Amino acid sequence: MSPRCSGVVLALLVALAASPAAHAARKSDPDKLPSIKVQDLHYGEVLFQFYSGEEFQALTELEAFSQWQRMPHHAHDADLLAGGLYLELGMHNEAGVRFARLLTSDVPVGVRNRAWFYLAKIWYQRGYYDRAEDAISHIEGQLPEELEGELVNLLVNALMRQQRYDDAIAQLRGYHGSPVWMAYAGFNLGVALVRANRLAEADPILTRVGTLSSNSAELLNLRDKANLALGFAYLQADQASPARVALERVRLNGQYSSRALLGDGWARSSLGDYRGALTPWLELRKRSLLDPAVQESFLAVPFAYAKLNAGEQAAENYETALKSFADESDQLDGSIAHIHEGHMLDDLLGEDKDARYGWNWQLKALPDTPQSHFLYSILADNDFQAGLKNYRDMAFMAGTLRKWDDSMDAFAAMIDARKRAYAERLPKVEALLETNGLTRMRDARAGVGAQLDAVETGNDVAALGTPEERSQWAHIAQLEEQLQAMPPGLDREETRDKVRLLKGVLYWQLDAAFKGRSYQEQRALRDIDDSLEELQNRWVRLQQARGSVLANTEDFSGRIAALAERVRSTRERLSQASEQQNQYLEGVAESELQAQKQRLDAYALQARFALADIYDRAADDTNGNAKPAGAAAPAPEQAPAPEQAPSQTPATTVPGAK
Amino acid sequence: MQQQQRLEQGFGRSLALLVACTLCLAVARAEARAPADMLSRPAPDFALPAAAGSNVRLSEYLGQPVVLSFWSSRCGRCAAQLAALDRLYATYHSSGLVVFGVSVEDDPQRALDYAHAHQTSFPLLLDGAKSVSRAFEIGVLPTTVLIDRGGVVRYMHSDDRPNDPSYVAQIRALLDDRLIPP
Amino acid sequence: MNFPKATHSPMNTMMHRLLRSLWPLLLASLAVPALAADAAPAAPAAVPPPTAPAAAVPATTPAGDAAAAPATADSDAGAATRSLDEQIQGLKKDVVDLNKDLFMLEEDLLFPANTQVAVFVSMDVGDFFALDSITLKIDNHDVSNYLYTPREVSALLKGGVQRLYVGNLKAGPHELVALFNGKGPHDRYYRRADSIRFTKGVGAKYLELKITDYQRAQQPEFEIKDWD
Repeated sequence: MSPRCSGVVLALLVALAASPAAHAARKSDPDKLPSIKVQDLHYGEVLFQFYSGEEFQALTELEAFSQWQRMPHHAHDADLLAGGLYLELGMHNEAGVRFARLLTSDVPVGVRNRAWFYLAKIWYQRGYYDRAEDAISHIEGQLPEELEGELVNLLVNALMRQQRYDDAIAQLRGYHGSPVWMAYAGFNLGVALVRANRLAEADPILTRVGTLSSNSAELLNLRDKANLALGFAYLQADQASPARVALERVRLNGQYSSRALLGDGWARSSLGDYRGALTPWLELRKRSLLDPAVQESFLAVPFAYAKLNAGEQAAENYETALKSFADESDQLDGSIAHIHEGHMLDDLLGEDKDARYGWNWQLKALPDTPQSHFLYSILADNDFQAGLKNYRDMAFMAGTLRKWDDSMDAFAAMIDARKRAYAERLPKVEALLETNGLTRMRDARAGVGAQLDAVETGNDVAALGTPEERSQWAHIAQLEEQLQAMPPGLDREETRDKVRLLKGVLYWQLDAAFKGRSYQEQRALRDIDDSLEELQNRWVRLQQARGSVLANTEDFSGRIAALAERVRSTRERLSQASEQQNQYLEGVAESELQAQKQRLDAYALQARFALADIYDRAADDTNGNAKPAGAAAPAPEQAPAPEQAPSQTPATTVPGAK
Repeated sequence: MQQQQRLEQGFGRSLALLVACTLCLAVARAEARAPADMLSRPAPDFALPAAAGSNVRLSEYLGQPVVLSFWSSRCGRCAAQLAALDRLYATYHSSGLVVFGVSVEDDPQRALDYAHAHQTSFPLLLDGAKSVSRAFEIGVLPTTVLIDRGGVVRYMHSDDRPNDPSYVAQIRALLDDRLIPP
Repeated sequence: MNFPKATHSPMNTMMHRLLRSLWPLLLASLAVPALAADAAPAAPAAVPPPTAPAAAVPATTPAGDAAAAPATADSDAGAATRSLDEQIQGLKKDVVDLNKDLFMLEEDLLFPANTQVAVFVSMDVGDFFALDSITLKIDNHDVSNYLYTPREVSALLKGGVQRLYVGNLKAGPHELVALFNGKGPHDRYYRRADSIRFTKGVGAKYLELKITDYQRAQQPEFEIKDWD
């Protein structure tokens, strides 16, 4: 399928997992997907990466944020998205694990349905059609409209793969969906009826698909395919006239036109109109010999000439066919040799095969070299494309790891710098911690606090005086002492009065300021306490750091070393697996080329038969043993059933056909 | 690359603080590098405003060949260079070629005037801070940088001969890289 | 004569071969209509299967089924392919895990939780504002100047939340200023600043810049949310 589509599918997968309220309120702008109500910022970041087209980054963050438990509200969404991303990365096993996690009853039914749906897709892609059918049967109620059409298509295909055409027909009868899915359903129904040998019922259905009017390239292709299917169904039933009607509806410039031209020729010949058959066949013969239908036309043209009694032209055309087949076969040999030399992926991918091209890439065109143009047929092969994508995915991953390799050096250097800085600062830190500075300061603070308490309790107003006041207070105390020593008398009484007055004035002054001063002191103490607390915190951090920084850097060193080793060994494994994948792809390509060669050889053998036949008859003619004209080929009824001529039909081109 | 880009963009400052020592060496090495050493290396990512239209981030064009042409209003030969690139762009645009003109102009108004006077069908980007021309180590004008689909610098030209057959051949070689992304 | 006696009809043989070779083609493409369905609203196969259908379940790959890949004809080759695919799937899982561990190491190393601050951007509807760039300042230092491309704006509008900036801050009070540039209503150049004071504690600090449409005023609204 187209990468663009898978992106849309995944986007729906994400968007629809959200609460319905979130998108109910939105405008119906087709360019804007319904947004989801993100409850964890980190899940939003994963979506941002995903919507920006950075799927690998989205997956990485999804896994990392899950492990960090940063997305507690989006566990189900995360599993659904991870499953989808793993599926796109070709990792069905892991995708299956993620989807299977969502099948428990505590998961909302909408999420669970989608998980069953994607599991069904995985089983189908892996060829387990019965399991796909079983998974679909677990879906409760209706899927969102966007997925419903795809679901029916998936189920019908799973049934048809099991040759249960009647069940498929039952599913498709009465199906209603979007016009595109209706067209697919009609086509599937028609083919199922044909396979169930109910051609008469199939005709109107395939005719409806085969005559629908549309401008879409996709539907026009489907229309051609329906006409081709109907045409060949009639050819197989020996009804050439209705076959022609269907085949002539196939567009001449579409991808099915070669086969339609070939079939039209056969339909006309079976009606006896050999001249008419030459028209599509000669047209077809101008096209590229890579196309099996074109190869057949090289035999069909002389066959028609022979039927028209134009023996000479028939012989000439068989000779031309032999020459063309031989040339083509030689070129195939060259291509096979080229693959043996190990050049295939270089040719296919160019010089930049390990550069990043994004998540969903597909090889859509081939370089125009003689070696590679035979490989066009394998481009349509899903296995080959998937194998090529595996190869490219691994190259992309190797590139990612190579970039990490550079970062690892930077990380290691960073840790070294941290270790050096630690070693440099450690002696200073040790010295500081040894001074016991914090304890001493705390003791000092306690002393000051006790002093202030004593002053306040004792109402020692002088203790908080200015230095001048305290010196005056001390002086007065000294004077009072001296007074005691004085002999009693008038002088002593006079002096005592003066001292008392002085002391009273000073006390008044001190007492008046005491409250304010006490408050100031308390405030200063609080500031000291704040600083001490900050100091205490730093002191503790320093103590902790002295112990933990080393352990922490050692822990990082260990992690870095272990990861560096994992990067190294994983890169090595990637390179080995890439080489194996390369060999596998070469093998697939080579067997495809061998099959092409065998087919050409079989055609060549057939051309030689016919040619020999013509020459035999010509010889008989000259010997006078004339035979009826137009009998260059034995009559059909004398022919053995095709199954009895296996050498003419290399099994590889028609795997398992009946 | 994701990680790398993220470091360079969003996390730049903190990283610079934390790994200053480590990066000093790397930066010193980068500055000493001759422009020729840009070849075969991943092109430095950038985001710039356009003279008209949306902002442009180089990494969003991975998968397409990109031509960057550095110009300034003071460079006499740049106009001819841009005109020639415009013709190439007209020819190869449908095959997926991406072209950006990057101004190396101090005065944003001058750059805008010049861009309006020299209309091209590809976007002209404004690098007022000259961070992009520094990252690409542009010494002379006009200089043209050819980047392959994988984001690696393949060719650099400091001339004005985009019609030179070898030049066209290089662009065709970049386009010829067979992988077509979605 | 060099050739065995030709007793069959070329026409009959060729027609049968034609029919036989065409049915598989028709059905193979029928099985995966999306191969031809670029614009299908939702096409069935997200990824082409990397291996041939498993031979371990013969009942599910009937011999007559046209879709069986050529590889199934040779079960040894099929098994080898499957085992290579299994091996590659396992290897890819190892790479995803390794990449995750490296991503976690990077963040633990550069932005440990006790100092980490992350700024996210979300945008709703965006009818009144087309985002062009955001400049972030923390404590008056420019920490990020991010230009938005249309692809990134669209990722935001779909519900993505961008982790615009991750950095380190000491515990304590800080101020974040965000400058939003873009086009406002009527295509006019629009520039708005918003700020928030926040306290960095022990754990990682997450801030979200929310751009929403204020329907009644037909104006964009800018809000910075502190996720505690």
